[in-house]
Amino acid sequence: MKKSKLLMIVGSFLLLGLFVFPLWNITLEAPQYPIPLGMDIHINKFVDTHEFDIKNINLMNHYVGMQYIPETISEFKIFPWAIAIMAALGIIIGLFGNHKLFLVWFVLMSLLGIAGMYDFYLWEYDYGHNLDPKAIMNFKNPDGSVMGFQPPLFGTKYILNFTAHSYPRTGAYFLFVGMLLTLVAFFVGKKEAKA
Amino acid sequence: MKLKVLTLIIAVAFLSSCEGESKKAKEVSETQVIAKKVVEVDPMKDKGIGPITSIALSEVDEVMAAEGKEVFKTKCSACHKMSKRFVGPGLAGVTERRTPEWIMNMILNPEEMVAKNPLAKKLLAEYLSPMANQNLTENEARLILEYFRTVPSK
Amino acid sequence: MKTIFKSLLAITVVSLVLSSCGNGGSKKGSQGALSSSAAEKVYVAPGEHDEFYAFVSGGFSGQLAVYGLPSGRLFKVIPVFSVDAEKAYGFNEETKPMLNTSHGFIPWDDSHHPDISQTNGEIDGRWVFINGNNTPRIAKIDLTTFETTEIIEIPNSAGNHSSSYVTENSEYVVAGTRFSVPFPQQDMPIDEYKGNFKGALSFISIDPEHGHMDIKFQIRMPGFDYDLSHPGRGDSHGWFFFTTYNTEEANSLLEVNASQNDKDFIAAINWKKIEEYVNNGGGKKMPANYAHNVYDEDTHTATSTMKKEVLVVDPSDVPGAIYFMPTPKSPHGCDVDPSGEYIVGSGKLAAELTIHSFSKMLKAIENKDFDGDAYGIPILSYEATLAGAVKQPGLGPLHTEFDGKGNAYTTFFISSEVVKWKLGTWEVIDRKPTYYSVGHLMIPGGNSRKPFGKYVLAMNKITKDRYLPTGPEVTQSAQLYDITGEKMELLLDFPTIGEPHYAAGCPADLLKPKSKKFFKLEDNKHEYAITSEADAKVVRDGNEVHIYMTMIRSHFAPDNIEGVQVGDKVYFHVTNLEQDYDVPHGVSMIGANTSELLIMPGQTETFVWEPKQVGVWPFYCTDFCSALHQEMQGYVRVSAKGSNVPITFTLDGDAVDAE
Repeated sequence: MKKSKLLMIVGSFLLLGLFVFPLWNITLEAPQYPIPLGMDIHINKFVDTHEFDIKNINLMNHYVGMQYIPETISEFKIFPWAIAIMAALGIIIGLFGNHKLFLVWFVLMSLLGIAGMYDFYLWEYDYGHNLDPKAIMNFKNPDGSVMGFQPPLFGTKYILNFTAHSYPRTGAYFLFVGMLLTLVAFFVGKKEAKA
Repeated sequence: MKLKVLTLIIAVAFLSSCEGESKKAKEVSETQVIAKKVVEVDPMKDKGIGPITSIALSEVDEVMAAEGKEVFKTKCSACHKMSKRFVGPGLAGVTERRTPEWIMNMILNPEEMVAKNPLAKKLLAEYLSPMANQNLTENEARLILEYFRTVPSK
Repeated sequence: MKTIFKSLLAITVVSLVLSSCGNGGSKKGSQGALSSSAAEKVYVAPGEHDEFYAFVSGGFSGQLAVYGLPSGRLFKVIPVFSVDAEKAYGFNEETKPMLNTSHGFIPWDDSHHPDISQTNGEIDGRWVFINGNNTPRIAKIDLTTFETTEIIEIPNSAGNHSSSYVTENSEYVVAGTRFSVPFPQQDMPIDEYKGNFKGALSFISIDPEHGHMDIKFQIRMPGFDYDLSHPGRGDSHGWFFFTTYNTEEANSLLEVNASQNDKDFIAAINWKKIEEYVNNGGGKKMPANYAHNVYDEDTHTATSTMKKEVLVVDPSDVPGAIYFMPTPKSPHGCDVDPSGEYIVGSGKLAAELTIHSFSKMLKAIENKDFDGDAYGIPILSYEATLAGAVKQPGLGPLHTEFDGKGNAYTTFFISSEVVKWKLGTWEVIDRKPTYYSVGHLMIPGGNSRKPFGKYVLAMNKITKDRYLPTGPEVTQSAQLYDITGEKMELLLDFPTIGEPHYAAGCPADLLKPKSKKFFKLEDNKHEYAITSEADAKVVRDGNEVHIYMTMIRSHFAPDNIEGVQVGDKVYFHVTNLEQDYDVPHGVSMIGANTSELLIMPGQTETFVWEPKQVGVWPFYCTDFCSALHQEMQGYVRVSAKGSNVPITFTLDGDAVDAE
């Protein structure tokens, strides 16, 4: 088997790590939470970092009128299929396709990834800004607008007395490495075609 | 084998406990010896340690003695009887055995007395319960002394 | 294939390593500057005494704990509103009446705000008052005996929270209701709360000599929640300030429905004016039913009296005596600075601290600078009374105390910190974290004209990982900060009993010299006291048997009692004949359905035993009193009901006597 095909197959296969490991994590730190509160985001569910963290996040956030983190979201139905189909497609392309198709797959996957991140951002925005008008506490920004509590998409942010961290987790690294391999497969395949 | 070890342990335990006992016994006898050695003062010359250094007695004042009896009843009689040994020594005729100063100091300053005064130390060794400080005033102690003077030994 | 497997493994490992980097940033940093100098500052060498007393309420324990500062050592838990088997409080016959209420005997309450009596605006160390939050009561603790000597129930009140603060000359101790209720109580639908429920603010006069409490008058205020209060001092002496929340008058889901108004009020009450009105025959006597319990130090016995009337004043009866000062977002703490000029309102949901000025308030009243009224009570315009605001000080401000050097210290529950700021300029000077979620704080004398601004004690609701874990329930704590410098310094963490809700502190020298050492036997007026073994006796009265017993190192008199029968009610009236410092004795009887007695020298206490089984039953001394403590014991012979064994009582084989 050609090296490029092998890389393509392995890269696509790595996507399946998302079914095992969390994709993303949001962690909230505050002085009175010596063990920070956290939520792992999988492609099909939200999971407590420590038992009952999500419940405690909800309890805390209701003071400023934030909605409860839902049990499930519609994306959780789509993501697993998308990942499974893309992984299968990648393996098929790896077996039977050429390096040009490898690139097509990579671009498609990147678009899907960007769409996913955008979707995640929209949800976060809504979560942080769609506040109950009868909230117990209302905070205003210095300019007078209602303060939002949107967690960062990527990185660390201070929200009132909390420090919020948002970073990719193991599943995401499987995804990144897998996609990187498929891109490498394209270049290797291109070289192989020339040779 | 097991049995042997067990026996050995028991034997050692026994031995060591015996050792402890004998040591204790020795200590006790030593303190008794010391106590004996020191108690050679004439009790009727020992004024004890405390606020009372010298007191002049005249005829027994019956009124004072009666008041003293009342104070004695409340503050002292739980441990001292006149007629017999109780928690503390019987007190009939105590003024024939001790100086008035010693008696009043024992009432007013019992902690220091049982710690330092040879006569008081000897009593503690005999009666085991230390004399309680009932926080009497000097006047109350004086009244009790007067009461004691009215109760001779039989 | 092998290489694939290997590389897969490698990738997985790399992924795991990478992902662990994203694991929520750094853990919390230093534990506060626990340098060796901090250790020195709180070290009180063995045998030495602390510099301050701290009376820290036990919150839901219902008691009041006495600590030393700066060491944080616990000396005593004074039972106040809850029974205490250790001290027989609420178990012996003498103290049972202390816990009597209009609802009967209540063995528990929630003790909140201790406050020490004052003279001329300075702490005088005679008594400390504390409120029972649940079944509204105010207790007085005598600071010579460190015992609860009086409890008065507050009628028409519920959730007695804005209590028990004392005016500048201890004229009054004040009790305000947190929950408004039907006034007087009656059967009515809950959703008719609005306009119908009322809030009682009670002014309880303090007898200047004995400290006896009496409800002088109750103000029937609108149905808000009266949260906390403080007296005016200096120029504002004669006024009292109460924070309110739930001015929405919600009766359900208050966490949302009582958080809607942009501003609630601080009620300013000219009590001198109302006092004058009452002294001139004003007010309306209303039927009521509340207990007044007094412990008499001579009889060593409490009595409970039910009072049947209370004098009620409606705000409309005394125009010009009550005003509302708008204060943002459900203000909690209501703290008056040592000069009496500034009234700090801590809007617990607000983003800033609001400080009202007393002199501006007087001016606004004079100028009738009103912004409408609430139930006829004028609302002063917000701007007119505002002295300033501390901007962005922290999250969830609760309480403020003062150091007497122009600084204020405010606690922030949500952001879990103490913030130091300057009166007048309102600038934040320093902030220090608390571990965790601080409620009240206390500077000795902080609620007076003359604070002793050396330490501040922060009282935390949550400790989580701060101490060795003890299962799901872990201790709450207090934290001591040195405030002598520009910046605060955390010195000490120490665990507390119950919830350390609030505290009052004073210099040790104020109390030390007058702390009582023992009770004099000749002053003992207890009904069943005997002051000599000669008077010891056992008396049968129907099926009641009264044992008049004495105790001294190391025996009881009598110690052999016969003639008691199954079904008898046996009263042990035990007097400690000792007359020396720190020689208590205890006593307990096998099978008695009560606690031990712990009897101080010169004191008499009583417990009741109802023997249920025939036999010879021992009793013994429970406090290790002397070398012969183990010998301090006795027997009671219990015969069958109707037995002809006569009552006898002996000591050493003889009837007890003095000769």
